[in-house]
Parts: sequence; C-alpha cells; structure tokens
Amino acid sequence: MKTRLGGAAALLLFCLLPCPLRAAEEEFSFDMAAFEKKSLEWGGYVELKGEHSDINQDGVASRLNLYREPRSTLDRFGTALQLNGSLQRGITTVNWVLQGSAAQDDLAWSDSAEVFEGYASFEVSPSTTVDLGKKVFKWGKGYAWNPVGFIERPKDPNDPEEAMEGYIGVGLDLIRSFDGPLRTVALTTVALPVWQGVNEDFGERDNLNFAAKLYLLFHDTDIDFLYYTGNSRSTRYGIDFSRNLTTNLELHGELAHTLRQTVRGLTADNTVTSSQVADTSWLIGLRYLTENDLTTIVEYYHNDDGYTEAEQARFFDLVDTGVGQYETTGATTLLDKAASLGQLYSRPQTGRNYLYARLTQKEPFDILYLSPGITAIVNLDDQSHSISPEVVYTGFTNWEMRLRFSWLNGAEMSEYGEKQNSNKLELRLRYFF
Amino acid sequence: MLIRVDRNLQPESSETYRKLINIEPDGTKKEFVLYSVRKDRDKMISLFLAPASEKGRATLRLDDNMWLYIPSVGKPLRITSLQSVVGGVFNNADILRLDYSTEYDPTKMEDAGGTYILDLKAKTATVAYDRLKMTVDKKALVPTVIECYAASGMLIKTLYYKEIKDFGGGIIRPSVLETDSPLYKGYKSVMIYAKIKKRELADEVFTLNYLPRMEELR
Repeated sequence: MKTRLGGAAALLLFCLLPCPLRAAEEEFSFDMAAFEKKSLEWGGYVELKGEHSDINQDGVASRLNLYREPRSTLDRFGTALQLNGSLQRGITTVNWVLQGSAAQDDLAWSDSAEVFEGYASFEVSPSTTVDLGKKVFKWGKGYAWNPVGFIERPKDPNDPEEAMEGYIGVGLDLIRSFDGPLRTVALTTVALPVWQGVNEDFGERDNLNFAAKLYLLFHDTDIDFLYYTGNSRSTRYGIDFSRNLTTNLELHGELAHTLRQTVRGLTADNTVTSSQVADTSWLIGLRYLTENDLTTIVEYYHNDDGYTEAEQARFFDLVDTGVGQYETTGATTLLDKAASLGQLYSRPQTGRNYLYARLTQKEPFDILYLSPGITAIVNLDDQSHSISPEVVYTGFTNWEMRLRFSWLNGAEMSEYGEKQNSNKLELRLRYFF
Repeated sequence: MLIRVDRNLQPESSETYRKLINIEPDGTKKEFVLYSVRKDRDKMISLFLAPASEKGRATLRLDDNMWLYIPSVGKPLRITSLQSVVGGVFNNADILRLDYSTEYDPTKMEDAGGTYILDLKAKTATVAYDRLKMTVDKKALVPTVIECYAASGMLIKTLYYKEIKDFGGGIIRPSVLETDSPLYKGYKSVMIYAKIKKRELADEVFTLNYLPRMEELR
C-alpha cells in the first residue's frame, strides 16, 4: 500500500509550511465557473533556497575567485519570484515571464530582475502565427544539452527544466497536417537583430540574423532540420530526431555543424589566440521507463569546440602562476587575465566528451508524490564528474520541495577536480500560485 | 456496438472540461482540472488548468505518439502511455484515451439481461491494456464497468462509469468515472465531467508547434 511521506521528512514539511494543506473531506464537486476562460491569465511561483558549499580550496576556481578571502565553506540564502501570464484580445495574445531574485551569501549580496519573455502573438489561423518580442526558442531533442539550440542561451545540465531568458525577434510559425506517414510539417522562422541595447550578448552588433527550423512528424518520428545564418555568429546547420522504439523506450539525437566557429584559447606562453575551425557537435540519448516507474535518461555529448585536457591545463597553469605572483608580489596582472577568460574556461561544460545519466524513481516504497533521483555528469576525457542525489516531494498542493546534494570529484588538473566547490547541499522550496 | 458506445461517450470532434481527483486511503485528495479537445479517432490534447503548479502543462496524443509540454522546459518531450503525469491510478492512456474501437477489437459479446458483456483485445502491443472486459448498459449503450487486464492476465485496474447526465447537444453519458486498482490498494481516482461540447477543430491544432498555445484555444 502506498503511503504519504512519513517520519522526520513529513515533520520538516509541516514545520516549513504555514498551514495544514491537506484537503478537507468533502463530496466531489466541480465549479466550472472558476475555470471559465478569462482574457487575463496569470500565475507564477515564489522560491526560498538555502545552500551550503564546501570549498575546494586547492581547486583553480576557488583560488581564482576567492584569492583575496580564502575560505573553506560558503553559505548562501536566496529567494526568487517568477510571474507569468497572458492577455488575450481576439487573435492577439500578449505573453510574459518575469523573474526577480535576490541572494545573500557569506561574501556579498546580489539581486536581479529580468524579463525572460515578453512578446505578442498574432494567430492569423491555427496554421499561421506571428510572434513579436522577447521569446525563448528552445530547439533540439537533448535533455541536458542542445547543440542545435542555435538561438537559445546554453542551459544548465544540472537544472535543464528551469525557465530561461529569450532573445528579441520576430517569428513566423507555419503548420500543415496531412494523412499518411507524413503527419505534420511545421516551419518556424526567426529574424533576430543584434543592435545597441538589443540582444547584444548574442554576438556581433549591427546585424540582422536569421534562423529556421523545419519539423516533420514522419513515420512516428520527430525530425527537425535547423539552420542559422547571420553575421553575429557563424552560419550553422543542424538535424535532430526523437522516436519511441517501444512503449517505454525513446531514442533521440542531435547533430550541429558550424562552418567557421571562432575558438579562443591560451597558447603555451599565455597569449590569447583566436582561430576559426569547422565544428561538428552531436548528442545521442535515450529515455527508458521500467515497469516499476524508474525513468532513466542517458546522453552522450561530443562538444567539438570544447577544450582538450592540454588546453584546459594551460588555463589552470595561468591561475597557478597568477596566485604565485599575487602571494609574492601582490600583483594581480595574471589573475586579472585569468578572470577575463573566465567566461570561456568556467562554462558549465568546457571539455569535449561527456556522459549524462539521470535516474528518477517515482513514488518508491509506496510513498505518494515522492521522487528521489540521482544525476551524474562525467567528463569522459579526464574522468572527473559530479554526482547529485536528490529528492523531490510534491504531496501538498502547489508546493514543491527539493533537497539535493552535489558531489564534485576529479584528479588535479581535471574539470571537476578544479571547480570551486567540492560539494554542495541545497534545499529549495517553491510555492506556485 | 463498440462504435456506438464510443459515439455515446464522446462526439468525434469535441471539447471537454473535467476534474481528476486522486483520493488516498486516509481521504486526502489531490485535484487536477483538465481542458481537453479531440478530433477524429486518433487526435487528442489535454491542458492542465489547475492546480497552479501544473497549470499550462499540455499533453498531445496522435495515434500512439504522446508528448508532454511543460512551460518552463519550453518544448514538448515524448512520453509513454504507461507513465502518469498526475500520479495516482489514472495513467496517460486513461487521460488521453482514444475511442475504444480505435485501440481494441471485440472478440466476444454476451447478453447478460440488462447488460452486454464485451471482451476486447488490443489491436497492437503499444496499447496500454492488453484486454478489456466491458459491461455495457443495454438502454443507454454506455459502459458501466470496464476491467483492464495486462497480457499476463493480471487485472491492472477497474473503471466504473456512473451518474448519467445530459450534457446538451444530444450528449447523454456518465458524468463520473471512478477507478481503483489492486496495484494501488485503498487508493481511488475519480474523473468528473462538467462540460462536453461538439467543436470543429483544425488538424493543425494537434501538433507540437500548437501545443504551447493551447490556452488560446479555449
């Protein structure tokens, strides 16, 4: 027999929640009036998050970021508010996703307020829609990575389901449905400008860029052909697919080819160089569901513009030399140089070959609404990795609690061996409204 | 007979509002409200209207293909019929159910006084239940009880259709669907139908590109 969350965990939840949320005994009722269509729809969530990190004091990242105030732990407490909604008038719908956050850690206060999305959608017909404004275009079939996500920001494989910030542009969506093996054809085209104050972080300024995705549902297989061109980034082509092989096994893949990818890196004498290379990144993955409701997602990712171990080691050496320079002379020239390269060398995944595995068990030991899981991300070149067990509980209507522990491990001069944290414990509580 | 049962349960092209309630042995409930549209015998979408934590999620079914759209994820992901996006006794195949005659072939029919007993066999291995035993009310020609069996012969769940109601537009059918399962002892899930209306819809609505815009269809 299935039971609700018991013992200490339930006690913790009851202490955290402001009032008992267990539904009262009542007859079944359905007040339709409460669900009639309204022109204005809105909702969102409020979040509280606490984190405790043990600092990897020998790691390059902590030596670079914390060299002025070395420490062994870092605690952080944060809150966030997300507001989303839509206003519909005739064929026009205005949509928005806004997010504000604030956090205090042992070192500093930080806050932000962002418009993740804000766009008008004009539905000329069910088969023709025009979008104008800031919108997220998430392309690709991969769960943790999307090499074909040509006009989206890189997602965090540790939290791939989180909302992201979009880009400002104009999109046209055309759909046709058919009978037979080819069920659907859909073309999405996007014009994406990069001007002063508009999408400046996308690429080179004063350019109008163009991206397109052609989707086919053919013989029960999702297939996308993707294309990007423009002077803000180099031209790239992509293809992806997804198919259920059986009722409980799905296979997906992506391949992206960039004609002339600009790659920046350090030479042996610590000079920053820039070169253009042809780049082919790809991903293959599967999702498998067992009879006992264990979902497994496994993905292999080849990141063709990632750094080799030798290239990565040059950056680690630069920080090492820079710390030595600071300790002996107080000068920060080399550390400043390393910090300026942080965007390149401190990305979520800087290597070339990765394995991602995520296992989630729905309602184990007959505990309803409880989902424990474990996620592993392995850099296959240096065998360093992160392992993150977690538990999510959604038993109280509109509340979600997630407890996660992340353990980073790797040899000296390896990606995860040089990260800032050696581990992190995180408790996140969200209330949806 | 099976096709008439299907048509009595739902017009081929329609929209529906329903509430799904998961009830635990101690009486605790968790409720979901769904807006669904369907067309022909193989196309269906369900959009979650409540609770707030699920609002905006949408599931699309085209034949045996199923996808789940979560607003924060921003793109539809393929799912399988045996999963459950809501927990409890109902799985995706129950929530996105196509016509019984689309997925099952009748193998036997018995006259049992006031009811007919139909034995139904899944047309393909991709259907969620291998065999159904359906009791049909002779007068109303709607199901009253359906037992769902796995290929092994194990009873997976029993569906109870109750409380026949006139929804208007010539649609007279049970307004409550209850289910229990030997796999979830003491648990019960209930689906309450509040509104069923015929509605003509374009085929293009039943596509991945349209899924994020489902709310605009209401």
